[in-house]
Amino acid sequence: MKEVDFDKLMSYARAFSRYTAEREAILVEASKDIMPRLAEVTDSFYATLQTIPEAQPFIEGRMDALKGTHHQWLQGVLKGPCDVNYTEAMYKVGAVHVKVNLPVEFMAGGTCLIQESFITLVTDIYADDPARVKSVLEALNAALGFSLMVMQESYQQSSLAEELEKFLAITGMSRTLFNNLAEAYKS
Amino acid sequence: MRADLLNSILSDLNGSSADIEASAVISTDGLMMAAMLPANLDEDRVGAMGAAMLSLGDRTAQELARGQLEQVLIKGDNGYVLMTHAGDEAVVAVLAKPESRLGLIFLDVKRAAEAIAKTI
Repeated sequence: MKEVDFDKLMSYARAFSRYTAEREAILVEASKDIMPRLAEVTDSFYATLQTIPEAQPFIEGRMDALKGTHHQWLQGVLKGPCDVNYTEAMYKVGAVHVKVNLPVEFMAGGTCLIQESFITLVTDIYADDPARVKSVLEALNAALGFSLMVMQESYQQSSLAEELEKFLAITGMSRTLFNNLAEAYKS
Repeated sequence: MRADLLNSILSDLNGSSADIEASAVISTDGLMMAAMLPANLDEDRVGAMGAAMLSLGDRTAQELARGQLEQVLIKGDNGYVLMTHAGDEAVVAVLAKPESRLGLIFLDVKRAAEAIAKTI
């Protein structure tokens, strides 16, 4: 796998998702209100996954462990910090998803489900403050978009690396030979 | 010194038959070690492609239970490409005319490969 510049990836994903420092601060502030009911998001997420046949093989028998990890991740999304370490952690999550053969659409689909749960939850928590609902949901959307983007970047790289490993194993080519071949046809 | 020896072997090989148009010694990693190629061929590409083809030939011979690979032969409208190992670390590749008498070329290439293996 190619060397990853996590600083650069973080800046790129922040720019694309519009996950600004201000929005990060909004989430940290809102985390005090959201955290007590955060389990609702995780529960709703896995309840929906259970209704999707394609998702069954990935959750069967592992529900408690998966819920624990999911809840922990959402706490991190809310509390931050969204720094290089978080970017690297999200990148590794994408690579792990490739290793367990998780279909790529699961990440985007999962993010949609989480966003939907947060809309319900945040609208309820700040029912008397529409401006707050808007700013918190915008911040959540940006934070989740950031995470999705980094995971997908990693997923793409890991998928390519895995395919290349298979190709090299099948053809018997060394990595050096493959690199020389690619270099010869670069231009 | 080694390059001179390899070039000398290739020169002899090219001179051994009027059917041989070009030849090259390539590392198994695809880098050109010595070449007597037409100007229109890119040495880097010939090197990498030749080594890749031989690697694939090795694997094909194994998978299809053909034993140890001796050579890879490709025939096109404009002639042949013949590749064979020259020791464990090199490949000798030859370009020959379409109407070539292959038996003689096989012998010449085999001799050249043995000489290259000793040189490397």
